[in-house]
Amino acid sequence: MEKVQAQKDRVPALPDLFDFAGDSVRIRSARCASCGTYFFPEYHAQHRSGCTREGVERVLLSNRGKLTSYAIEHYMCPPPFKTSASIAPYGIGLVEFPEGIQVAGLIMESDLDALAIGQEVETITYTLYSNDAGQDVVTWAFRVLK
Amino acid sequence: MREVSIVGVGLHPWGKFKDKTFVEIGTVAIANALKDADIEWNDVQAIFSGIYIFGGNAGHISGQYLESVFGETGIPVVNVYNACATGSAAIRMAYNSIAAGEVDTALAVGVDISPEGFLSAKSDNPRQDRDVLRWRMTGMPNPVYWALECRKRMAKYGTSAEDLARVKVVLSQYGSKNPNARYKKAYTLEDVANSLMVCDPLRLLEICATSDGAAAVILSASPGAIQRANRPVKIAATTMGSAHYGDPTLRISALSAPAVAEAPLLSESYSASRAAYKKAGIGPEDVDVLELPDNSSWHYLQYLETCGFCGEGEAEKMLRDGQTQIGGKLAVCPSGGFSSFGEAVGAQAIWQVVEASDQLRGRCGARQVPNARLAMAQTYGLMGNSGTTILKI
Repeated sequence: MEKVQAQKDRVPALPDLFDFAGDSVRIRSARCASCGTYFFPEYHAQHRSGCTREGVERVLLSNRGKLTSYAIEHYMCPPPFKTSASIAPYGIGLVEFPEGIQVAGLIMESDLDALAIGQEVETITYTLYSNDAGQDVVTWAFRVLK
Repeated sequence: MREVSIVGVGLHPWGKFKDKTFVEIGTVAIANALKDADIEWNDVQAIFSGIYIFGGNAGHISGQYLESVFGETGIPVVNVYNACATGSAAIRMAYNSIAAGEVDTALAVGVDISPEGFLSAKSDNPRQDRDVLRWRMTGMPNPVYWALECRKRMAKYGTSAEDLARVKVVLSQYGSKNPNARYKKAYTLEDVANSLMVCDPLRLLEICATSDGAAAVILSASPGAIQRANRPVKIAATTMGSAHYGDPTLRISALSAPAVAEAPLLSESYSASRAAYKKAGIGPEDVDVLELPDNSSWHYLQYLETCGFCGEGEAEKMLRDGQTQIGGKLAVCPSGGFSSFGEAVGAQAIWQVVEASDQLRGRCGARQVPNARLAMAQTYGLMGNSGTTILKI
């Protein structure tokens, strides 16, 4: 009951980028059936040269991936990055999904000092701030799996 | 295609000039270039001007605004933008226009007055502008992108924190000897290693600042102009490159990159530099002076490899062995680099060419590279922008 309520109260900071309606959070990517390329977001089309660009389909990336790099930002990013309070220092990771694409995102709920390339991570939502309607405005993020 | 030379160069100092307009600082650079070339404004037959993106509509037609100062003569004026490779684009267009015989003498100019601190998104349409996404959804200013690549490099090749600090030490030695540099302090390894961590693993002194500045270059194939010039410098090649599919670099402002590399890292720079070597009929081993885009210590190391100056994973050794210093195998950024100047987006690539040509003309005093005959200026612009200019005397 509580879990469903929490989901109803989350809204994405920008639409069509990730899915959190189900049990797990999944980044919404696209794949071209003709050249096999995955791209994120779906409107950042990247085809192989000569591709007919036919058969682009939306796909949800796996919920789990591998950390291929990370950085720790010690200074808050200025607007339009909006958070309810300063989150610095915060982590940013590059995660490789089994589909064959690396996606960047915040690293939250993880020990930043213990980050290491190769760690398995899962995609989560992260609440940036609450809006006037009392909803949690969220983005996608990654959490290192213990 | 006929041979084209640089007959005059000019700069406005690099620094912070919030109370000036881009026209004012651009005018200084152009006036200095005309004086250096000893030609009149009426001799300029085409203008290729870097777009000044923080200047509204005026900045987008910077060339016309600058032409107005010196006198509108009805000549072709083209305004060009290629992110931090903007200056390269202007030079290449000026070169091509002259080489093809359209005009004999042309001006390439770039100006920038950057807003304070972080560079932010200029639109709010996320479907159209990826900047909006990387700001709003992931809080990723530019240094994060470089930090992510740097961390990968450290894991792959064992780049140490000391290597990153050493880059700044070497660059600052030259900055301290460059009267035009904004930052003239010579740093020690300890200074740099103790500087604030900004975006781990990159520290404050390992990331370049943003600056305001303007630079101008006058190119010509006119025998009269070349004769009047004080040690004209020949352009052996001026190329541009865009990225290749399968480039694993996480490019500003993207949020994704391929997992499997099918192209080199920084493929746009790989493309531009290889095309330049081919056009100039040289190899990296022939270059005496290199001005590379040292936005961070990572760039310095990576660009040595991307442009073929050493093998993969060997840049750190090249640096540690002193081979990137004046007197070493290759003099890298004897100007002091972005590290000592800060970056003025639209002007930076032209500034690199000014510095490189000054070396060939023997004007660099305490940081002169002995017997400099061949120089190269290499740029890096977000989302797959790059240009390479090779000069010889």
